[in-house]
Amino acid sequence: MKSTIDPRVKLLIIICLSTLGLFFSDIKILMLVFLIGLILSILFKGSFFSLLKRIRMIFYVFLVMVILQSIFQQSGTPYLTIGTLSILTDEGLLRAAGYLMRVLIILISGVIIATCDMRRMIQGLIQMGLPYDFAFMTSIGIRFLPLMLTEMKDTLTAIQLRGIDIKKLPVKQRIDLLSYILTPVVASTLTKAKKLSLSVECRGFRAYNHRTSIITLKLSPWDYVVVATTLFATAGIFYLGISL
Amino acid sequence: MKPYITISNMSCSIQNALILKNIDLSLYLHEFVALAGPNGSGKTTLGKAITGIIPIDSGDILIDEVPLSTLTLPQVGNRIGYLFQNPDKQIFAPTVYEELSFALKYKGIPLEERDKKVTQVIDAFELSALRHSSTFFLSQGEKQRLAIAGLFLNEPSYLILDEPTTGLDPKRTSQLGLLLKQLLPKVGIMMISHDMAFIRDHAHRLIEIEDGGIVNEVHY
Repeated sequence: MKSTIDPRVKLLIIICLSTLGLFFSDIKILMLVFLIGLILSILFKGSFFSLLKRIRMIFYVFLVMVILQSIFQQSGTPYLTIGTLSILTDEGLLRAAGYLMRVLIILISGVIIATCDMRRMIQGLIQMGLPYDFAFMTSIGIRFLPLMLTEMKDTLTAIQLRGIDIKKLPVKQRIDLLSYILTPVVASTLTKAKKLSLSVECRGFRAYNHRTSIITLKLSPWDYVVVATTLFATAGIFYLGISL
Repeated sequence: MKPYITISNMSCSIQNALILKNIDLSLYLHEFVALAGPNGSGKTTLGKAITGIIPIDSGDILIDEVPLSTLTLPQVGNRIGYLFQNPDKQIFAPTVYEELSFALKYKGIPLEERDKKVTQVIDAFELSALRHSSTFFLSQGEKQRLAIAGLFLNEPSYLILDEPTTGLDPKRTSQLGLLLKQLLPKVGIMMISHDMAFIRDHAHRLIEIEDGGIVNEVHY
């Protein structure tokens, strides 16, 4: 499936998923959109669950969101109160669940697009009219993001190996420490960008106005079926969401 | 003499690939051990496993008779100084002085004592001329020295240096050799390196690693 679906079709799918995710606030619709995204990501051999494992922290954010939504959204049936202050309400829980669903839809969209071969993805963007420079910059950004995350992790390890126990630091000092974590990451990114720019210039990047490409994408009949199904399903969910 | 670091029957994998197989090794204080072997043989993984950066699959690692599994990274850092292959990874502050002082600040050491300690290390590592220089524009050799100086402020008992001579010219390599010689009465050193000339000149013991296992040990 990974090689057969055109990247432009996957782009259309994620545009539909994220639009539905942002347009509706009804939890049932959001869950339906997420479920469709999850099935698609499995069909496209995406690694959603390993991504979830890596971002476990999001569940702590969810817990904080539930409490915040409950505190600021005092309507609804309270499940947990301290004095007159509601800490957990059904309304707050629903809103937080909606927020979590939206985040998960964005993540699942990212997983679906990550199943595209990047070279084909760029070609797809170019054939859709995006200037090559922008498409190239996008691909570089996508390729460098995991490297930056690894560097951030290495920096955290190196800081801890200097004897600093981050977990034991007060919040103010932790925030202050962020500048020391970001300094090597930013410095390394700048160095990489400089080297990359020199390297692409040396290989004749932008030497001519028009670039030819060895790859040309062509939509297959199967792609047309997927496009039609996606548009039909999106329209159906819109109808369902509005009539609910 | 008791070993400072004891590794028994240790195996370690990265992303399901077995990198180190049944390693048994003892490392002593005041001893200079060189770890050599082909690319991908597991040298860096061994260094990282000893410091707890990479978790091990099985076996035991004891640091000063304390199981590594019971220590946090900061606790390991106070015992073992680990120099990364790329010193840029462990230079965090915009100036040399700040780089050396920031860790002490977070450990709650008062300003006066901090300044005294940093000045001592700056002098010991011949970084006085660079005290207020930007760390971004230092040469590779200066970065190496600064990174080792930063490790030394923790007063570790053992140093693990991952290819510290890479990118250094002969003069800087020889200066690094002298520096390590000066440090040896205070610490034990394990250096990962391909530089056989440097190893022959400075190491007491050479451990050769191949395909994730120790294949040879030479005493100089």
